[in-house]
Amino acid sequence: MNQQTSENFAQNARVALQDTTLRGALKNLAKTFGGRRKTAISSVENWEELREKARSIKDETLLHLDKYLEKFAENAEKAGAKIHWARDGKEACQIVLDLINTKNAVHVVKSKSMATEEIHLNHALENSGIEPVETDLGEWIIQLAEETPSHIVVPAIHKTKKQIAELFVEKVGIAPTEDVDVLTKTARNILRSKFAEAEIGISGVNFGVAETGTILILENEGNARLTTSLPKTHIAVMGIEKIIPKFTDLDVFLKLLPRSGTGQKLTTYQSLITGTKQNANGEGPEEVHIVLMDNGRSKMLAHPVTRQSLACIRCGACLNACPVYQQIGGHAYGSVYPGPIGAVITPQLVGIGKTKQLPYASSLCGACREVCPVKIDIPGLLLHLRAEITEGEANGKKSDSEAKGKFAESLAFKVYSIAWGNAGTYKFGTKTARFMQKAVAKNGKIGKVSNLMAKIAPPLGNWTEFRDAPTIAPKSFRDIWAEGLKEDLPANERE
Amino acid sequence: MDTNTAKSAIFDSIRRNLAESLPFDEIYNEHKVNRPQDEIIEIFDNSRSKSSLAEIFRENLRSIGANCEIVEDKSKAVSFIQTRINEKKLKKIAVSDAGLIGEIVGLLEFAGDFIRNASKEVLFETDLGITSAQFGIAETGTLVIESDKEFNRLASLVPPIHICVLEAEKIHQTLGEVLQELEKDLSRSVTFITGQSRTSDIELTLALGVHGPAELHVILIEKKI
Repeated sequence: MNQQTSENFAQNARVALQDTTLRGALKNLAKTFGGRRKTAISSVENWEELREKARSIKDETLLHLDKYLEKFAENAEKAGAKIHWARDGKEACQIVLDLINTKNAVHVVKSKSMATEEIHLNHALENSGIEPVETDLGEWIIQLAEETPSHIVVPAIHKTKKQIAELFVEKVGIAPTEDVDVLTKTARNILRSKFAEAEIGISGVNFGVAETGTILILENEGNARLTTSLPKTHIAVMGIEKIIPKFTDLDVFLKLLPRSGTGQKLTTYQSLITGTKQNANGEGPEEVHIVLMDNGRSKMLAHPVTRQSLACIRCGACLNACPVYQQIGGHAYGSVYPGPIGAVITPQLVGIGKTKQLPYASSLCGACREVCPVKIDIPGLLLHLRAEITEGEANGKKSDSEAKGKFAESLAFKVYSIAWGNAGTYKFGTKTARFMQKAVAKNGKIGKVSNLMAKIAPPLGNWTEFRDAPTIAPKSFRDIWAEGLKEDLPANERE
Repeated sequence: MDTNTAKSAIFDSIRRNLAESLPFDEIYNEHKVNRPQDEIIEIFDNSRSKSSLAEIFRENLRSIGANCEIVEDKSKAVSFIQTRINEKKLKKIAVSDAGLIGEIVGLLEFAGDFIRNASKEVLFETDLGITSAQFGIAETGTLVIESDKEFNRLASLVPPIHICVLEAEKIHQTLGEVLQELEKDLSRSVTFITGQSRTSDIELTLALGVHGPAELHVILIEKKI
């Protein structure tokens, strides 16, 4: 079983860096998904406008989340679904378990869901003697191997074909083969028998539409369709942030999510489920239960910077683009949500105490922000969390000087976070820094700085202990542009 | 568990935290867009295209490895399916209750069984599923099936081969248009299908037919005027 924790991030990362097989797989991931994403969005004429619209829909929803949640619950119940409320993961697991027990059910199938991973639902069910079967191929592999997912979209990305083949030989008794089609067929046949006997199907939710009470699930394999239509009872577990106001809002998210995640125009299947079936003889479950779960989400509403975390649609694009994730993979983060989005969500979900290395697991290069389909400013969020961490530490420190140091660091992160978020303050900041750096720059570089300087500009201290920092250019591109570079361009290309 | 206690605790927490955020909300409002939310953003400039919607649909579906044929009338659709039945030596065929499919099935020569309303046990034994669809989406090559309009939708998922026959006039240009149509009379369950069941979960290698059909044929009947 995979036992890495967020507390040991730095050590986990070092171990992962030695794993050449893993790094090969991650390189393949970045190249394949990164490339497909680029191709998929290059044909879209107004990608930026789509992102902006998606974000404004999410912002509007989150600012009135109580209103939209109430509407969603009301409409879903009107259509025959039963709504349950869970304050935390423990409550959500208990609700699911109670539902299974009420039905005297023993056979449970599941389709891929990050929300149920987050609350360790399988573990909770297993402790009560229920063995849910994961039916997404990647999730099933992970379940057989008794591991945890290392990517939001492709959970078994860290495993090679050879490892998977060996796993199948050991666990399900097939003859050794590395033919992917044979391995896939094996999964299909075994999981068909699980679908045939299942009384309960558990799924996640990608979007919940307030105005109709509809839940939408995206997938490529078809296992979510089977999970939500064959068993008599369907239980959907969804975070309270999955709400969008209107049915037609789905348009913008269905354009953004598959293109960002896997580079598809649309994933193979979308199931739009509104309550229970109208015709008793029709296909589909007799009962639909929706578990609406908070589990630390409502706290993120308390500040516009942290609130952005709730706009995430779990596409995984930031993982694929992140130079840190590309080197170390998902397990090193020691949390259900890895990569840049994991580094901002995990500390907020489980508390900063054991996860404070995660907001530092980034070079702040901004690649995640560039690819995010809902424009989450992940670097800004990381800085915000870093400020919170150092502030917390300052309050906990005994000696005055230590506390002052932490306070200065915290203040610095706050200043950076504001400065980089606004063009005016950015310009002023670089001008000031250009003047200040004269004290420490030599030959266009900043070497190891003195103790005094490290105190004035704390990050510079740590940074220059091991390497040089580049100096700020004497003149900004913006200034050179304004002074006449613009005139060198053909007239039609000047903005 | 008292779900009402949990519910009010969650709503209290939402309202309390949103109130706490108020003083900061004005500083960070860069994404506040004042535009009618109803407006659908078109992502391709379709005015330039000289192709018919059926042709655009076919091109998009073929680009992801599924088959699509445009035929002139029902009899051509029948002969297409007849050829598949003969060459594959099929035994059980699951069919939906769509009117068009009923007419087509009546014209097919088949020694095995056509099955409507199959139980899941029987469905698992079928080797072909034939359905229609209520909408097509040209820009993605997507089929849309509504539960209130067509029963036995699982015929599109469980058998290893799925053949879908629909009139070309049911194809709309964009996803947005189809969502607007669906919303007018929303079925309890709506399924979108774009290509065959697929996975890349093993080393990102594409494998078809992991849970649903590995083969998809869409036959569009386009009546020439």
